[in-house]
Amino acid sequence: MSWMRRVAAAAAAGFLGLSVLTGCSLEPSGVETGPRAPTGLAEGTVLYFLDSDGELVAAERDTGRLGTIAEAVSLLLTGPGPGSSGLTTGIPETAQTRVQVTISEDMVTLRLPLPSTRVSARGIDQIACTALVAHAQAGASTDVRARLIFTDTEPEAEDGRLHDCPASA
Amino acid sequence: MPPSEQSLQLLLNAAGEDAMVVHDDLVVAAGVLAARPGTVPESFRESVQSRAAKDDPRMVTRRVEIDGAPWLLLGTPVTHTTPGGERRATDVEVYAARDLSAIDEQLDQLVAAAAGTAALVLPLAVVVALLASGSVLKPVAKLRTTARRLADGDLAARTEPRGVDELAQLTRTVDEMAAALQESMESMARMQQDARRFAADVSHELRTPLTTLTAAVEVLHAALDERPSSAEGASGHSAEDDEVRESAELAIEETRRLVQLVEDIMEIARFDASTATMRWEETDVVAAVADCLRTRSWAGQVHVVGPGSPEASDEMVVMADRGRLDMVLANLVGNALRHGGAPVQVTVVSAPGEVSVEVLDGGPGIPESVLPHIFSRFYKADGARSRTVGSGLGLAIAQENAHLHGGQLTAENVDDGARGARFTLRLPRDGRGVVRAGDGASTGEPSGEES
Repeated sequence: MSWMRRVAAAAAAGFLGLSVLTGCSLEPSGVETGPRAPTGLAEGTVLYFLDSDGELVAAERDTGRLGTIAEAVSLLLTGPGPGSSGLTTGIPETAQTRVQVTISEDMVTLRLPLPSTRVSARGIDQIACTALVAHAQAGASTDVRARLIFTDTEPEAEDGRLHDCPASA
Repeated sequence: MPPSEQSLQLLLNAAGEDAMVVHDDLVVAAGVLAARPGTVPESFRESVQSRAAKDDPRMVTRRVEIDGAPWLLLGTPVTHTTPGGERRATDVEVYAARDLSAIDEQLDQLVAAAAGTAALVLPLAVVVALLASGSVLKPVAKLRTTARRLADGDLAARTEPRGVDELAQLTRTVDEMAAALQESMESMARMQQDARRFAADVSHELRTPLTTLTAAVEVLHAALDERPSSAEGASGHSAEDDEVRESAELAIEETRRLVQLVEDIMEIARFDASTATMRWEETDVVAAVADCLRTRSWAGQVHVVGPGSPEASDEMVVMADRGRLDMVLANLVGNALRHGGAPVQVTVVSAPGEVSVEVLDGGPGIPESVLPHIFSRFYKADGARSRTVGSGLGLAIAQENAHLHGGQLTAENVDDGARGARFTLRLPRDGRGVVRAGDGASTGEPSGEES
């Protein structure tokens, strides 16, 4: 009798397992909450210039969309433009505004077409803030720092200083 | 500034083939969401909008069925991040649908594969499990059988230990226990047997000289009986002669008691050794009682109550050994006359399947403290009685004889008007089968094997 009981128990366990397996199918479900909503909608690109006191000030350039970091920094290199009253920049005008951008997990590397000697300390803040804010507005982490590589930066010094944005801190 | 339709189109392109972007009343859609405008339920839109209103807007998902195929519907508000890092909801919602048919198919294949594998493996697993559990449970069952046989008295029962596991050790231990038990039981039985044989041997060795002694004393007594007639004139010696005669009579009396004792012990020894023989014959119990009383000259002192009519007398016939039945009756009536007192009444009663004989005396009855031991060997009611006639084995022998007949002998006190002790002998009409079937439980040994 005990033999029979054991067979019955084993068969029951087997059928249970099979029924669990066959019940595994894609059925319509209820609403489930997923990850954070995406971000990146913006009416323009935020650039950082200097006001009359030499302090950083954000100015939105109406491009209709957020744009990439490279686009933002390129726009910054073109200067505040004639329409913006009272805004100055610590970056000299340059014909070449193409900027190479490399993004890693905790760092944004910018290769700028300028020598460092011509950029003021405020100018470096301008570049760092513009790049980091564009990066954050695209939905990336805010815990990122910027590394600026100028044309006169020695290759062995490329791992040098990292810059934060003093305006967003 | 609201996003233009062009920027919504950009969002739509980024969201994939089957997508929809909604901003207030402006809707752009592509793929299945464009082909079937009702695919995104209002409730889903509401849940998207309700999450957009919260501090931390999140994406929502839901599985739906479109044309019988499973689809995953995603919906999310799109947020704007301020330069300070704060996220704010916009009025833009993006919906996207992903076809899950391929995944569903893969899932079905996986389930089919798993079910097939299970179907193949399960019987095998059951067989293996049964074999494995059998290898464990079978020794346990064997051990249980052995333990049961040991408990039932078969001390030779053993289990062959197999393997070196705990179960085998347990089996070995049980075997050792059984062996030790068997040995001690055997040695006990041997000692008991030795003791019995010793008693039988002693009795046997005593009987021959006692027989001679009895004969010698009887000769002496006879000689003394003749003396007064031969020495009629010598009256001066008569007092001395009386003393001698008294001593001789005492010697005869004690010698006879001794002979009786020895014979009783030998009888008991025969019971113990199961060598007591039964000569079965049809016996009329009433006639047996009458014979017993007549041969011992007790007929005048005992009142016999038998069946009322002669035809009823036929019912009083049982299969019995007349000699043993006579011994039992003589013992019971003798005890009643000796220890109890008049009036002694013997009643023979017929019942279905058996005949019982009651011996009732008019004495004081048996003390309650003695009653449980009354059939024990050499049990005397009190020390003062130790010198009375009787070996102290009479009732023990009577009970053994009753058992040999497949019957019973019981003792009790009656107190209904006529006080006294009542011994009841119950004999089955044919006790041979009962005895053969092993009614030796009271003696602990089989009896009456020679019929």
